[in-house]
Parts: sequence; C-alpha cells; structure tokens
Amino acid sequence: MSELWGVLEEHLPEFSAGLWVTFRLVAASLLIAIGVGTAVAALRVAPLRWLNRIGGVYVETFRNVPLLVLLIIAFAGIRRAGIPIDPWVAGIASLGLYTAAYIAEALRSGVFAVGKGQIDAALSLGLSYPRTMRRIVLPQAFRTVIPALSSLVIAMIKNSAIVGASLVALPDLLKSARQVQADTAQTNEVFFWAAIGYLLLTVTATLGFRYLERTYAIKR
Amino acid sequence: MESKSRWRLIAIAFATLLLVSLGIAACGDDDEEETTAAPDVEVEEFGADTTMGKIQEAGEMNIGVKFDVPPFGFNNPQTGEVEGFDVDLGRYIAARLGVEPVFREANSDNRIPLLVDGTIDLILSTMTITEERDLEIDFSEPYYVANGDVLVPTGSDIQALDDLNGNRVCTALGSTYQETIKEEAPDAELRLVDLYSQCLELIQTDAVDAVSTDNVILTGMVIQDDTLELLGLNYTKEPYGAGIPDGDTEFKEFVDESIQQYIDDGTWEENYETWVGQYVPEEQQQGPPDITLEEALKLFPLEK
Repeated sequence: MSELWGVLEEHLPEFSAGLWVTFRLVAASLLIAIGVGTAVAALRVAPLRWLNRIGGVYVETFRNVPLLVLLIIAFAGIRRAGIPIDPWVAGIASLGLYTAAYIAEALRSGVFAVGKGQIDAALSLGLSYPRTMRRIVLPQAFRTVIPALSSLVIAMIKNSAIVGASLVALPDLLKSARQVQADTAQTNEVFFWAAIGYLLLTVTATLGFRYLERTYAIKR
Repeated sequence: MESKSRWRLIAIAFATLLLVSLGIAACGDDDEEETTAAPDVEVEEFGADTTMGKIQEAGEMNIGVKFDVPPFGFNNPQTGEVEGFDVDLGRYIAARLGVEPVFREANSDNRIPLLVDGTIDLILSTMTITEERDLEIDFSEPYYVANGDVLVPTGSDIQALDDLNGNRVCTALGSTYQETIKEEAPDAELRLVDLYSQCLELIQTDAVDAVSTDNVILTGMVIQDDTLELLGLNYTKEPYGAGIPDGDTEFKEFVDESIQQYIDDGTWEENYETWVGQYVPEEQQQGPPDITLEEALKLFPLEK
C-alpha cells in the first residue's frame, strides 16, 4: 500500500504532465469530432443524393480504417510525401476525424428520430432546408443522442492512448506511465495510477453528459 | 430463384476462400522462427529438475530476441528468418542442450516481463546489464560491449552530445538511453518509441533530429540508409548480458559456460566478423568483452 502512494508521490510531475497532454489531445479532438461529425450528419440526411454520397464516403472511410492505420498515414505517410506535419496535428486530426464518423452516425439516427411531419411542416412554412435543420431538427436530434454521444466520447478518451502508443509518440498519460514503469519496474502500481488518470477524464465526461441530459432532455 | 442460387454460389466461394486462406495462414509461421542448421557442439544431459533438463524435456528453447535491430536480431525479409549476432549466440546455446531454438520477438519494453512470466527461457536482445534490471532478473557474464552513440542525417548541425539540447531525439522506451540522454542533454526533446525501427522511420521523415542508442544498433540503420551517419562519440559503455530468470543459478552457470566456450572456440570472432566487423572501420573493430559482470553492473548502478 505504501508503495502505491510512494510511486504517485515521487512521479507526480510525470503523471500530471501525461494527463495534461492526454486532456489537451482529447479536448481538441472532441471539438473537431463534434464539428465535423455534425456537418457530415447534415450531409447524410440532406435531400440531395450526391451530398448523401459524400457523407457516406466520409463515414465509411473513417469508420472502417483502424485508428492506428489512420495515425500512421496521417503522420509517417504525410511526412514521407514531404509535408512536415506536426505530431500534435496528426494526432488530433486522426482522433478527431475518426470519432467524427461515429458521431455523424449517431446524429443521423437522432435526425431520423425527429418525425418527418416536423420537417414537412417547417419546409411548408417557408423555412429553408439548412434553417430547418439548424432550428428544428438538429436541436432535437442532439437531445436524443446525448446518451450515445456520451459513450462515443468515453471511447475517444480511451482511444487517445493509441495516439501516444503509435509512431506519433505524444508524451501522453500512457506513455508517461510506461516511462515511469521502465524507471521503477513497479508495473502494478504505475498502471493503477494510469488507470485512475483515465478514469478522472472519463468520469468527468460522464458527469458532463449527465448534466446535459438532465438539462436538455425532452421531458417524458 | 435464380438470384437466390447466385447468392448461395457467392457464399460458397467466399467460404472456400476463407478456409483456404486460413489453411495457408496455419502453414506459415506467426511470430516465431525455427533454426535451419544447428552448430556442431557436444550435448550434455541434465537432470529433470533443472531449467536445462526442462528445456531438453520440451525439446525447444524459447529465446527472446529483437526482430527489428540489424545486425543483432532482425527478421530478414529475403529469407523470412530471424538473423543476427544475438540469434547466432542463441542457436549456439540451444545446440549445447541439443534442442531447437524458437526465436520470439522481445523488445526493450516487454522482454523482462516475458522472461518473468516464463514465455521465454532466455533474453538475448541487445540488453545492457544494469543494477536495476538485475533486481528482476539475473544476467550472464557480458557477451558483447557496445558503446552509446548518436545518429544524425549527413551534414546535420548536431556534432556533439551538447548539441542534442533543444533538438528532438529518438530512443526506445525502457532502454538505458531514456535516462542517459536526460542526464547528458537535459534540454533534448525526447521521443520514446517501442521499436528502434520506429526511430529510423522518424529520422528518415525528419520527425526527429537524432537517434541515440548503442552504436551497433545505429550501424544497422546506416546499413539500411546511407544518408545517415554516426558521430562516433562513444559516450557510454553498454555491456550486453543474456537475461536469465531471477535466482536460477544453475542455468546462469550453464549460460556463462556456453558464452565462455563461444568466445574460446572462436565462434564469437567468426560471428562478429559476419554481423559487425565487415561494416565498421578497422580502428573501431573490437574483440570479445574484456569486462566482468561485476564491473558491468557498476556502470549502471541503482540511483540513490
């Protein structure tokens, strides 16, 4: 037990630096994922077939390629092509665009949950399609998919560990923990604290989504 | 009706393809390689209660080597086999037991756990002898002495250890250099990866400015890419030892004897020439280690 606390006390700077890197990586990726995910969901449900197609190609591309492969392409591939992409940019873009595909699908299911009658009503009242989306459909869609989004964000926080473990090699929480583990050889203790670090992030996310759910949920 | 039978046909074709590919996969090796020719040495029988006896009982010896570090342990894409200086030493030790060596991939980060949990019987994975590692496992007498060096793209501004400060430097997670670089160049920006081949990828794509680790590993990178060069700094001495399960003194004695014999009968020199000697200039050539385990341990003492 004392060893457990000893490792944390002695290596707190490494652990907190790693947690901070993971937090920034997750926060930036989340912004991209929600922005791009919403745009792609809008394309997927647009009334124009070729827009649907573009959205479909995006989702199928980013959902069907393993994150690790995306990371290698986004970093080593692009650098080999002569573009000196920064590890942070490669990591955030890969994780964000990958998660965006899932968020787009979740939102699409939310859009379908909004009755067709509401869309018809909005359009017949003279609202343009984008405006109908923005004012009528998406706000309801977001509410419906809050529980699903919560799962996706938790998955994204955990997927951030793949970014650090890949060639991109950001000094994230897992990497810092492995560095401490190599220094101290206290495997169990070190990874216990790494798990706690990830738990801090995921529990915060869960609580945030629970708050959103309570505030914006459609009363039933 | 017609479309239904067509679908059935497609399904059958797909299933056949799947089965055939599974069959092919089963025939091929996964992450292990077996030896072709065993060196010619005397085989001694050991008691069933010793590690040697157990290995003889099993008929194979699992040896953890690097798969991506020429010229010590690497998967040769042309032959599909693992080759190198460490691999040849492993073959020699296995042959002394009259068993087949099975080479498993063991990198800087996972080799000690693999030995501790019994997945492998012996580590021969360019592992520097340190007191810290000695807490978890035992070491054989040194079988090779490497030196710490720095690899840069030809014509780089980095010419000395000091120049690493402010630059991005790659080394392997869990290697001795993780600490050494922090001491020698505290302001260097460390990039820690799992495999040395990833360091090569990073320096080739200009994602790091230098790679620092044992000169023999770096020499392997220069063999693969001649736009890179070694600085020849030799700033650390890294005696390699075989990793043996903690407290297994009989097995350690056996491995030590094997290494001594390997050196005495000239096999060491022969393999050195094959894997290292021919690639380095005359003045950098070296002989078998002139350092004992005790002295080696003092080079990397425990902190505090």
